[in-house]
Amino acid sequence: MPKLIRIEDGQFVSADDPFTHVADDEGMPPGDVIISLTRFSAEGDALISQGRAVGVRIEPDEEVEALAYDLPKLAVVAVAFPKYRDGRGFSTSHLLRQRFGFKGEVRAVGEVLREEANFLTRCGCDSFETADGSSPEQWAHAANRHRHVYQRASDGRIPAFTERAES
Amino acid sequence: MYQYDTIDKEFLADRAAEFKQQVERRLAGEITEDQFKMLRLRNGLYLQLHAYMLRVAIPYGSLNATQLRKLADIGRRYDKGYGHFTTRTNLQFHWIKLREAPAILEELATVDLHAIQTSGNCIRNVTSDPYAGATAEEIDDPRVWSEAIRQWSMLHPEFSHLPRKFKFAVTAAPKDRTAARVHDIGLVVRRARDGTMGFEVIVGGGMGRTPYVGPTIKEFLPANRLFSYLDATLRVYNRHGRRDNAYKARIKILVAALGAEEFRRQVEEEWEKVGPGADMPDTEIARIRAAFSVKAFDTLVNRSEAFETAKAADPAFARFARNNLKPHKRPGYTIVEISLKGIGDTPGDATSDQMDAVADLGERYGQNDIRITHEQNLVLPHVKLDDAHAVFQGLAAAGLATPNINLISDIIACPGLDYCALANARAIPIAQDIAHRFADQDRAELVGELKIKISGCINACGHHHVGHIGILGVDKKGEEFYQLTLGGSGAEDAEVGKMLGPALPADRVTDAIDTIVEVYLRERADGERFLDTFRRTGVAPFKEAVYAEAH
Amino acid sequence: MKALTANRLDDGEVVFWNKGAWVERFADAELFADDATGEAAEGQGKSQPNTVIDVYLIDLIESEGLWAPLSFRERIRALGPLNHPTHGKQAEGGAAIEALRHAAGASRSTGRVNLIKRK
Repeated sequence: MPKLIRIEDGQFVSADDPFTHVADDEGMPPGDVIISLTRFSAEGDALISQGRAVGVRIEPDEEVEALAYDLPKLAVVAVAFPKYRDGRGFSTSHLLRQRFGFKGEVRAVGEVLREEANFLTRCGCDSFETADGSSPEQWAHAANRHRHVYQRASDGRIPAFTERAES
Repeated sequence: MYQYDTIDKEFLADRAAEFKQQVERRLAGEITEDQFKMLRLRNGLYLQLHAYMLRVAIPYGSLNATQLRKLADIGRRYDKGYGHFTTRTNLQFHWIKLREAPAILEELATVDLHAIQTSGNCIRNVTSDPYAGATAEEIDDPRVWSEAIRQWSMLHPEFSHLPRKFKFAVTAAPKDRTAARVHDIGLVVRRARDGTMGFEVIVGGGMGRTPYVGPTIKEFLPANRLFSYLDATLRVYNRHGRRDNAYKARIKILVAALGAEEFRRQVEEEWEKVGPGADMPDTEIARIRAAFSVKAFDTLVNRSEAFETAKAADPAFARFARNNLKPHKRPGYTIVEISLKGIGDTPGDATSDQMDAVADLGERYGQNDIRITHEQNLVLPHVKLDDAHAVFQGLAAAGLATPNINLISDIIACPGLDYCALANARAIPIAQDIAHRFADQDRAELVGELKIKISGCINACGHHHVGHIGILGVDKKGEEFYQLTLGGSGAEDAEVGKMLGPALPADRVTDAIDTIVEVYLRERADGERFLDTFRRTGVAPFKEAVYAEAH
Repeated sequence: MKALTANRLDDGEVVFWNKGAWVERFADAELFADDATGEAAEGQGKSQPNTVIDVYLIDLIESEGLWAPLSFRERIRALGPLNHPTHGKQAEGGAAIEALRHAAGASRSTGRVNLIKRK
């Protein structure tokens, strides 16, 4: 089974990935799948009723709001970063966690690089299909380089202004 | 001034350590140049024509003497003994080696300086009023909000991969010294009738290929709701700004495409959802405010006998006082502007020795407070009139007493093709040539306030669009040509300059400026600045004179 | 006539190709009389992404009996910033530097597009 990096109990670990990414023009394999928003609109309910776990992949130009009603049914939302520079996925992850209270897995897919680990984690991604072959240790190192943060975010880290108020 | 606490200091140390590891990975070949480029840009490191350039952030243009001495020291040890102050109130070193950049950042961190987000598609260094805390005009200290924005924007989780760069200006005085209306977001502190503090929020101004004076998106945003409103604005931009074309990716293009009204509606709708939970706690704003309010001013009278005597005895000082000293809010104090536009010098350049000299004067006479202006000059904001002559003499000894603030030789120029990988033409020699032509200070004072701004390419780092006279270097079939615009302003009366006519070859530019000045002197009514005359007469008499001579 | 140029990764220095090595002086650059040789060198240069970055061929013209880059931008790269005559490669002076100073031609590089992406 393919591997990905996942946050479990606050630690970055290597985990089995039971999901298969299925493109719109591919046949539907058995088991847990991640499909596009378009395909989910057409086939999502049927797939879920078959008892499998279903995830949806959100592209940068797709509005996560379109998924709001269906989120409780989803195991995974895969946020796509086709280019690491394309930052729309950070807003998608943020909204999934903060506005829609999504508790399932938010997975970063695409050009997912170690040097972006800090931003991805802070915006609420908790699993990572890395594009640079990073080990969980390397990923954890990159994500945890900074002892302090200045903003509230989805990772729950205490921002500087709270640290100061409490000291 | 705001003092960095352990949190701020550890943040900078961690950031320097992170960049060191990233550089090591790049030099070891573990990451590609494409992947590394954004990492180095986020730390202000560009590849220019001759070497790497390191752009050091000077947050809201404010430094203490120790910091300025460190910059001087780095200039000596890692560069060629100088640095270049920019229109974003940053300092650029032009001769940096990639392998030495991590050591420089480590050294900068020891004096609470950094190069974080001085480039890249993220929130850049905030521009603020160089007279903050010193001018009687201001209704609040804009540095308080600038520092809060600095903290909020540092490695922002959601807004560090924007469609394009993002620049803030914050001012609290009716006279705008920040060019707030040509920033991505300009914040102007306002007070409501009931005394509540808030901001006029201007979004989508900018220069570059498509210049816009930004529309006001919110007339009055209560100050304690600033950060939720910024979250909403940046989120609308991050999600909907164009990413298919770098020249159309700034927020100004989104605002213009949607129209200010629709953009405002989208921001308000998002803001409603964001809610006050995203605002910075009042306690943190109060903590920052306290750091800026400590100033030990002596109780003095308005008139300084020492100052008056020195002016009477030393005409050079009298001239300096006329042009470079500005009114301070406290009796017996003055704001000293230090011109980095010596006649024939490179605009904005300061040698390490000059930086040391300013640091010494700032420490001795200026409450250890030194500012950078977006017009590429330095400011000592709190000098006693009694000490002004001593400061002048110190500056003169360092070659920094040029008495030309806001005059025709106080020219903004980008580094241009002498250094910059993006430039089409040189900017520096044009500035030098014009300054030489107007080296006669009597004539320069007769002409009065006249702001010339020169950019070596359409990206407009030299702010040519908002120059009273703007000069844009273009490439015409392989030759350097210069396009003149007139009537621009980056101040509270912001306006984009109007094209004068066909571009001129390099050797015709200074003559054209001379002609424009002569037309102004002929046409001006009593008390009119160049800009006032131009606004009254329009471009016609200037155009006629410049192009009549060309035939 | 063409030459191959780049910036060295670790210090950003402008360098020129000469028979498999990168040299700092334009006067030491290998000159390519035909496109095929130049393009072959360019291919080799680009295969060293951890030594140099921004590898490209530049056009040359004759100036004072020596070869100089056609574009003004490339002449500035081969000299240094003209506002500081003692900074950069031009500091050593001599006939080769003088020839570069006096050459005339285009201010822009040929074959370079979308410079906003370079940085």
